[in-house]
Amino acid sequence: MNDIHIQESRDSYIIPAVDFVASTGKCIIKGESFLEETSKFYTELVDWLKDYVKNAKEIEFILQLKYFNTSTSKWILKMLSVLKQFELDGGKVKVLWYYYQDDADMRDDIKDYIYGSNLNIDMVPFTDN
Amino acid sequence: MESVNTNKRRATDNVCISYTGLFDSEILTILAQGIEGTLTSNDKVTKKVFKIFLELAQNISQYSLEREPNSSGESMGVGTMLIKEYDDYFQFSTGNKTTMESIIPVIEKCDNINSMTREKLREYRRLQRNMPASQKGGGNIGLIQVALTADNPIEYGVVKCEDNNYFYIVSVKINK
Repeated sequence: MNDIHIQESRDSYIIPAVDFVASTGKCIIKGESFLEETSKFYTELVDWLKDYVKNAKEIEFILQLKYFNTSTSKWILKMLSVLKQFELDGGKVKVLWYYYQDDADMRDDIKDYIYGSNLNIDMVPFTDN
Repeated sequence: MESVNTNKRRATDNVCISYTGLFDSEILTILAQGIEGTLTSNDKVTKKVFKIFLELAQNISQYSLEREPNSSGESMGVGTMLIKEYDDYFQFSTGNKTTMESIIPVIEKCDNINSMTREKLREYRRLQRNMPASQKGGGNIGLIQVALTADNPIEYGVVKCEDNNYFYIVSVKINK
């Protein structure tokens, strides 16, 4: 199974950095997400997760998104849904979501994702310093 | 004809950034940099303005009735964006041409959003996230997100144009 490595970019729209590593089960999405073709970008990630969990025992999913637009927000929920199903099927799932300490909107949003996905998400505040 | 102006606050009209023209990825990137570079006094507020800009600008590029090809030949929406700064808040406004048929459901949605408490809005957003994405992928959540980010009501206006279409203006205040 191939890894996914995508570099963060602001050349055309705003693309987050992605690192999905099959050998470790560690998956990271970091930066900002405002894309023209959200569906095309995230379908690849959702499909990768679905493939990965077929033969995996555990997965670590890390989000560190400073900003994501609303079409991205639906795809985040889709990815979390894949992880929830994996957990229900006996897989071990760890989700970490880093957010700026002073970003109260993001904190509320993550809580809504915990409610919406029914997954245990560790909320980790951070600062630039 | 496109025009971009990014100025530090002008005493006369409070305008920080104004733009009228094509809303494609190239200009969105330039405007995003303009917002981050111009509204630097309060990082938390700048982030809010930035989020609102991206949501509303994407609406113009996808839904404006007035369209022009960009450099790649793709049809993109034409519209207007304006950011004004006052003592206690920023006012962020966008405008674009539309039809009455298209605008009625948007106005109803604005009224619905404005009638909700913050908790109700979050619940509404959770529900919408579980719904299938609209054809253009916007997810139908943009205006809910704008209201939640601004933490103020969405103001709107509709002006009839000479060609019998309408110019739809949406505006929100972002408190400092």
